[in-house]
Amino acid sequence: MRLKILTVDDSKTVRIIVKKSFKGFDCEITEAQNGVEGLAMAAKVNPDIILLDITMPVMDGVEMLTKLKSDPALKAIPVIMLTAEAGRENVMKIAKIGVRDYIVKPFKEDVLVDKVSRVVDLRPAGEAEPVQKKIDDPIDILVVDDKPAIINQVKEGVAHTPWNIHGVSSTGEAIDFCQKKIPDCIVISLSLPEDAAITLFRIIRSNAKTKYIPLFGLSVKTAVEEQARAQQAGFSTIIHKPIDFEEFENKVGKAVNLDASGKYFEMGEGYMTVKLPKTCNASVVNEVSTYLKAKTSEAVNSGISKIIFDAQGVSSLNMDLIKLLLHSMKTCRDLSLKYALTGNDVVIEESKKFEESKDWKFCDSVETAKASI
Amino acid sequence: MQQTFPIKDDELEALAKNAIDSVFSTMLNRSTTIQEVIKIDEDNHPEGIQLPVDASMPMIAGTVGFLGNLTGIIYIFMELPLAMEATCSLLDMEEHEIGTDDHELVNDAIGELTNMIVGTFKNDLSNKGYECRMTIPSILRGSNFSIEPAEVALRRIFKFDCGGRSFVIDVLMKEEN
Repeated sequence: MRLKILTVDDSKTVRIIVKKSFKGFDCEITEAQNGVEGLAMAAKVNPDIILLDITMPVMDGVEMLTKLKSDPALKAIPVIMLTAEAGRENVMKIAKIGVRDYIVKPFKEDVLVDKVSRVVDLRPAGEAEPVQKKIDDPIDILVVDDKPAIINQVKEGVAHTPWNIHGVSSTGEAIDFCQKKIPDCIVISLSLPEDAAITLFRIIRSNAKTKYIPLFGLSVKTAVEEQARAQQAGFSTIIHKPIDFEEFENKVGKAVNLDASGKYFEMGEGYMTVKLPKTCNASVVNEVSTYLKAKTSEAVNSGISKIIFDAQGVSSLNMDLIKLLLHSMKTCRDLSLKYALTGNDVVIEESKKFEESKDWKFCDSVETAKASI
Repeated sequence: MQQTFPIKDDELEALAKNAIDSVFSTMLNRSTTIQEVIKIDEDNHPEGIQLPVDASMPMIAGTVGFLGNLTGIIYIFMELPLAMEATCSLLDMEEHEIGTDDHELVNDAIGELTNMIVGTFKNDLSNKGYECRMTIPSILRGSNFSIEPAEVALRRIFKFDCGGRSFVIDVLMKEEN
């Protein structure tokens, strides 16, 4: 999908320069000459980002920004101010209203492109949209730790996944690795000697090719000081030793933006099964909810009209899960889809304790559930 | 009687030079040098002054004002051929693509360059503690310009050279109480 950029400037020259700057990228530029036109255009095209001048006739940039941020339908659109006005008073005023960045004229075109690319996914023209990797696709994780035992522990901990764990022991080796292959995620031991973790973090972040790689710090829970320093430096997250691999997989999945729907949703002939895992805590329920609408639409579009909610593996029923199932069943009814529930003895027993679920009928297997609808 | 102005002459020259250098190098990839600085007092030029340019040459003048602790106006007078070159460079276009009659595009480009120059000048003033806000640029075309300000504390004219072509910036300012 083409990226939509809206440039709001009373100067035709600036609007032409903006167009010229993004010529080599897969975007569609729309223009407005003042704040009034800018708001109307924003509502019409729903841009991915707005480049906004301050000093304009009719309605200036500050007023437009204020109105944009108070409109529920438009307030999420990121705005970069592009202006000759850089006084402290102005900067403070617009920072309070909420801008993502600020470019002071005169500006180099590559600065404009760089700042926009930090906010939205700017792809060169003609380049295909990257395919989102799935949770069961192979990804490359680089572990930087001077203790081989830790690297082996990570390899063993994720051995059941198709993920490739590459271990190196020093900053130099890590940089060499990244020059040959860009990993999807890097885990750095925070206890590397001579502050090497922070040094490596800065080197990775300052390189255009590696600056967006998620960087995890690895530390023992009690090393509070080194964790605070890592967080201050900007590490994406901290993984505690001994590593909880379920948590580790979740964090990597989220940081690398892996499509985890395959863990829960399965399409079969005429059926979609929603397989609920053993631990259905708030985070898992939230993840399933995130995919539910899209996967249900996908199922309907491919001709599937029956859904099985499989809770046989669930160890304990809780209110979050009940709410998820209530919501899912309502969605099915709204879409005229047939559905059935499966559950084990514990789930069936616990469901009777809640007002919302006391009347639910469970099947004892997926096959029985299929036959019942 | 003329007021004592809080910014010294060498500071003002540095502000003007920085504003011009910054905009010309960043937007046009061109360098400039100061050729002449003219100091004007009420006493020595009560009737105004002829600008240090060829009076017969067609010119384009961009102007932007600023209001705040310091109030003023800055004019950029540019010979038309330089204005055309600057427009082409700014928009990455050839002269024939613009056309000699396309006043609107050249006016807009020079207006924007003036806006950036005055913006840089004004931002430097802000860094010195003088907060002000800018007006929207306007453009004049003609030749044999003469500016006769009604009441200013300070007026300085800087003549610049850019690759053999001249342009002038005329700075008029007063301090607000």
